[in-house]
Parts: sequence; C-alpha cells; structure tokens
Amino acid sequence: MPLLPKKKVGIVACSGEELPEGTVSRVAALKVLEALRPNDTVTICLPLFLAGGEGDRAFARFYPTVAIDGCEKRCAARATEMYSGKPAASIVVTDVVAGNGLGPIRGTRRLNEAGMQAADLVAQEVARLVDELLGRKREAEAEVEVAVEEPAAEAPEAPEDEEEAITLCSCGSGIPVQKVAINGRVVTLIALPAIFEQFYQAGKRPGNGTTRELLETTRIYNPIPPEEEAAYAEALAREYEKFCRKRAAHS
Amino acid sequence: MSGKVVVVPCSGIGKTFGTVSREAAYTVVEDLRPDRTELVALSLLVLGDEEARAAVAGHPTVTIDGCRLACATKMVQESGLPVARSFTVLDAFRKHRDLKPEGISALNPEGQQLARALAEEVAAAIDALEGEA
Repeated sequence: MPLLPKKKVGIVACSGEELPEGTVSRVAALKVLEALRPNDTVTICLPLFLAGGEGDRAFARFYPTVAIDGCEKRCAARATEMYSGKPAASIVVTDVVAGNGLGPIRGTRRLNEAGMQAADLVAQEVARLVDELLGRKREAEAEVEVAVEEPAAEAPEAPEDEEEAITLCSCGSGIPVQKVAINGRVVTLIALPAIFEQFYQAGKRPGNGTTRELLETTRIYNPIPPEEEAAYAEALAREYEKFCRKRAAHS
Repeated sequence: MSGKVVVVPCSGIGKTFGTVSREAAYTVVEDLRPDRTELVALSLLVLGDEEARAAVAGHPTVTIDGCRLACATKMVQESGLPVARSFTVLDAFRKHRDLKPEGISALNPEGQQLARALAEEVAAAIDALEGEA
C-alpha cells in the first residue's frame, strides 16, 4: 500500500537581526521546528523566498504557512502574501509580549529571560496553530486559500490524458498532484493520485460510502471550503470512477 | 549612523551556514567593530522599508551570505544599493576545513570558531574600506 505524503505547515520567521523581537521570532520558529512539531513543520527560508526561490514559493502556495514577525512591520507575513499566498495564520511578537505583560525584551544575539519567555509563548501558540491547520480543528481550514488556477471563461474539464492531469507538485517535494474540474474551475489537489491508488488497492470501489471517505482523506491534504463540499464530492466520485476503469483495463 | 559600514547577513534560519553568517555578523557589529558598523535586516531592505534604505544609502555595505545562492548580496543589489564587499560562509569553510559547523539553534565550537574567523576577515575588510574612503 502506498504511503501518502504527509501534509506539513511552513513556518516563515522574520528573523530580523537588528531587533530583540526578531530574535524571538527566530528562536520561537526553531523551537517549533526542532522540538514541538518536528514532523509537522518545515521552515521556509525567508531570504531565499524573497530572492525568488521557486521551491519555497510553490510550497507556500500549496501548503498552509504561519508567519512569525518581530514587529508591526510584518515583513514575513507581507513577503509571503506578496510572493506566494496569504499566510494561514500570523503572529507578531510585540503583541504576544504586550498581551502577556512580559518585561522588556533585550538582546539580539542572546535573549534575556523575558525574551526566552516570549519565545516559549510564541512557539506554543505556533504549535497550536499547526495542530489546527493540520485538521485537528476543521474551522481553521476555511482560512486556508485553495490552490486554484485562473478561472476559465468556460467551464473547464480536467485533462483527459492522465499523464497530463497527474504530475508532481512544483514545490519539488515529489508529492503527486492531480488537476480536477470543480465548480467551473480547475483545482490542483495534492496527493490525489496516491489516495486513489491506496483506495483501489484496499478494494474500495466507487459508491457513496467510498466518496465520503475520499472526501475526508482528500481534506487532510487540501483545504475544502464547506460551501463546496458537494461539488468536491461529485468531482472525486467522477475522477475515482475513471481511475478505477483505467486500473481495471490495465489489469 | 554617519560614516558607519552597514552589515547585512543572509537571515536564513533553516541551515547551519545561515546561523554562522548571523553569528559572524553579530561578532563584527557587537564585538569587533561596534562603533563603526550597523546591522540591517535583509527583509526590511527588500520590502522597501524607508528607514532601512536610508540607513544603507550612502554607506558602504558588506554582505555575509550563508551559501552560494548569495541571497543577501543579490537582494541588496536588486534593491538598487551597491555592495562594497561580499562574503560567504562556504568560502570561509573552504579556508578552514577543520572547522566544520554543526547545529542551527546553537552552533558547535567549530561553528563558533568559523564564525569568529569569518568575522575577523569581515572586520579587516571594513578597515580597508575605511582606509579607501
């Protein structure tokens, strides 16, 4: 049975070296990446992102991101939105410091006690957001943008040629994606070819129960707006039926 | 700020070489040449922050990149600002093969020594720049 690629959350920290709060953003991001949620998060390199790193930009288009900024200038959140997509969530260190009545944050290279406390609080909040974004709380998904292509003038159809429809994610992760026509536009669904293959090998054949299960599994990797659930279910049922016909013909 | 040399590190947080570049920048600005240098964050420059651009404008700028992608150098240049000298951690490591850096949150002793060696090289370049002025 194929292993499905795991959905992860991208962490973008401002890392502003000239401010203690920038160091808090960096330390908090590393706490999440290395200790709190090492298997659920990846770092998005802000300088590379700004310099045009296509892999990082593509990742942030497909996966939810959390921006951690030191100050109200919000460089990480703005850069993410400017070059890729709106972050699913955003945290500003100065807000956390003020909200928790922490003492003055000092030290750019080495944080003082208040700075380390702020980093702990920010890291815990980011970890909570990561849990939400990974589907442990459904309502968070509505904030995540759906990866879609430009709306077509006419209702498009998913490419007939399976080779054309199924490709690898452009973030370079090797994750298979499939383009599917939903509600008059073409939506790129992450991991769908692997999900279909897993269902087929498990002996699940097209039908209402399978469609419901497909919808839930697809939702783990892709944000599905509540108002479009029916359209997604219809599209998944259609595409899975096509998939099963082709697999049966080849066996 | 008048007369100070601006130091811009790469800001990468996901790899060891980024940590070395930042540690080297802090060593220059806080320990070796505290009165003659100023640290400016790359993201502020790239996103057009007026204060950051004003700090850099008219001052020699030295970039310290983690790797060959040279994000700091490229982006300072793309912001329309000249780079007086650029350094990379990778080049420094080639000169000091015995100092293999490890760790991201906290550098190993070799990484700290590499950052120090790079910082001293940067400080010497800053002295030379001031001599040219």
